[in-house]
Amino acid sequence: MLEIRNLTKIYDDGTVALKNVSFTVPDGEFLVIIGLSGSGKSTLLRCINRLIDPTEGQILWNGVDLAQLEGEELRKVRRQIGMIFQHFNLVKRSSVLTNVLTGRLGYLPTWRSLTGRFPPEDIQRAWQALERLGIADQAHKRADELSGGQQQRVGIARALMQDPKMILADEPVASLDPVLAHSILQRLESLNREDGITVLCSLHYLDLVQRYATRVIGLRQGELVYEGSREDIRQMTDAQFKEIYGEEAERIGAGGGITGSIEEHSARGGAA
Amino acid sequence: MSLKHTVPEEPRAPSLVPPAVAALLSLLLPGLGQALARSLRRGLLLLFSFATLGGLLAWRIRLAAPRDEGAVAIARKAFHLQPFLLFNALLLLLLYLWIAWDAWQTARRTEGAPVGIFALVLVAFFAVGWQVGGIDPVRFVTQLDEAGPPLMRVLWPWERAIEYPQEVQIVKAPILSPCTGEPFAGGQPKEGEPYLLTDPTCGNPSEQDGTPGTTFTLRGFGLEPNSEAEIWWEDPIGNEFRQRQEGEYVTVQTDAQGNFEVQIVMPYRLLPPSAGEGPKIWTVEARQVVSVGKPQASKELKLAIEKIIETIFIGMMATFFGILLALPVSFFAARNLMSASPFTLVIYYLTRAVLNVIRSIEPLIWAIIFVIVVGLGPFAGILALTVHSIAALGKLYSESIESIDPGPIEAIQATGANWIQTVRYAVVPQIIPPFVSFTIYRWDINIRMSTIIGFVGGGGIGFLLAQWIRLLDYRAAGIAVWFIAITVAILDYVSAEIRARFV
Repeated sequence: MLEIRNLTKIYDDGTVALKNVSFTVPDGEFLVIIGLSGSGKSTLLRCINRLIDPTEGQILWNGVDLAQLEGEELRKVRRQIGMIFQHFNLVKRSSVLTNVLTGRLGYLPTWRSLTGRFPPEDIQRAWQALERLGIADQAHKRADELSGGQQQRVGIARALMQDPKMILADEPVASLDPVLAHSILQRLESLNREDGITVLCSLHYLDLVQRYATRVIGLRQGELVYEGSREDIRQMTDAQFKEIYGEEAERIGAGGGITGSIEEHSARGGAA
Repeated sequence: MSLKHTVPEEPRAPSLVPPAVAALLSLLLPGLGQALARSLRRGLLLLFSFATLGGLLAWRIRLAAPRDEGAVAIARKAFHLQPFLLFNALLLLLLYLWIAWDAWQTARRTEGAPVGIFALVLVAFFAVGWQVGGIDPVRFVTQLDEAGPPLMRVLWPWERAIEYPQEVQIVKAPILSPCTGEPFAGGQPKEGEPYLLTDPTCGNPSEQDGTPGTTFTLRGFGLEPNSEAEIWWEDPIGNEFRQRQEGEYVTVQTDAQGNFEVQIVMPYRLLPPSAGEGPKIWTVEARQVVSVGKPQASKELKLAIEKIIETIFIGMMATFFGILLALPVSFFAARNLMSASPFTLVIYYLTRAVLNVIRSIEPLIWAIIFVIVVGLGPFAGILALTVHSIAALGKLYSESIESIDPGPIEAIQATGANWIQTVRYAVVPQIIPPFVSFTIYRWDINIRMSTIIGFVGGGGIGFLLAQWIRLLDYRAAGIAVWFIAITVAILDYVSAEIRARFV
């Protein structure tokens, strides 16, 4: 169980990215975070695994306050939290296999990992992960030779190598076309359902939110403005929607048939 | 000189003084007229330009005639010695007059500010620069002729690359002194060997009081053709000395058959009483330096080969040590890796500052410093190039570290990897191509620098080159230049190949 209490992040330049955010994520949930760009979604996700240090508040994960951890303890927690990025963040010049293997670094002694030789069981694990994500045939290619969708699958495989209890996905499909978006989210969903991994995922496409989320929170200018179940978002009203995405936002279409980006379409439509 | 400032954006207010007064005032003090014509900046700029040019000209005139007194004498001498100064002075005068005219124009109108006068200021400054620089295209052209032979020796020095073992060949003929009335055989023809004949075969040496001795016709046969031979004497007690005539040593030139003929006067020689009385045998000699045996590499060629090898290794070792030390340093000098805490940030600024200071000092100066520390020789050169390489590579490396994609670093950190693992898996793969590229570039520079580091005693071929140039031994210098050119060309090719493979 992940419990965020009064989380606040103020950047050095004075930008308030998160304002007193509190919510709870039970284990095994597929939580989707929605909100405009700059609403604090990325900051929130990065605070949870402490890529960004929160200014105030608590991040209680199974009773441990992640916000207080440092050094070795922090790294031990981090290795149980996989992360997937919008731009995949693969090491482009390294092979796909090496990229996947880096997911094991948190478990390896430093001296051992520096040689670049991973233990055979890790290599076997990496092949299994690649197999599971359907990109085993690409293992020896350079990461930047792969298509966007394939690269994101490498990113998932890397996260999988960590044996994660939780996966943070920061707009994992924002750089991909809708078809690939479904394919990626389906894989995340399978990790969530089959392996019981808690997933925290930020998304822009309302239809994707409605299709995959078991729960949704909405952020607006760093504040938690919406919290609802899958049923809630199916019945989301324009008023609620506007509260998350701003007064100028217009909902496109109706019901479950919405396609396209809420942010892109509505924000621009409103401004025009 | 920023011309655009002289163009006002809006019309000026009318002049404070009439045009004629403005012109007169500018004659009194250049720029004053413009200033009063409400063009203060223009006036100040012109005053500053004129004063600077005037000061420079006065200084150059004084330098040209340092020992004269009185303005007129100094100017006359300076213009006589360096007529170009006259041109400088004329330009200044022209500027002076133009400033006055410009003041009249400026006072007359409220719009427009022609920039032609500043073109003249520029020309005047360039003319001063021309004079200060001692630029003399005429000399360049006329002396190119004289420079031809030494330049040709530099361009094609290979005669100097081989040499023959040499020995002095002495051909002798006996002379009887004084004559006894009996015939004396003297030198005799020899078959297959060089020989000397004298006519006559006996005579008297010159006297101490200057009375000349007997004049001999000395003829040599079968000597080394087309080369020089020195004339020597051996007196009856075995002392050898060179023949002088009118104060000069006598040297003869053999013809194509190796023959020569020369008139010599038997020299004065004080013989000790122990030499005894009566007729004695003197010996006249023709000495030649002749080549014997097979051609072999000259001393200069051997030295040049030895030193070019040393040079290449200086560059190599300096690059190697430079990489070794620049690598860790570059991580400390990369902002993105060091901005984690105030402490690391201090290290970052410190490292950056030290690197900048080191880099701003040229390798040649480092070499001089290290020669003081470790003495003349390649080690000083290696140290100098190493230090400079660390600074240069440290900066280039750290900049390529700074320009890497932060995404993978974030991703690797998120897996629970520690700092060193993050560097190994997120930073290193990204920086290998730029590092290889910069390293090769530095290697190129170091090899080039190592060829001249010897000029200040840092070892390598530069030392020989400097020495040979100072000795005016242009052929030997040419050998060194050729070796440097060949080495640099080969290494250019090699580094291009390496670059193509790795980057």
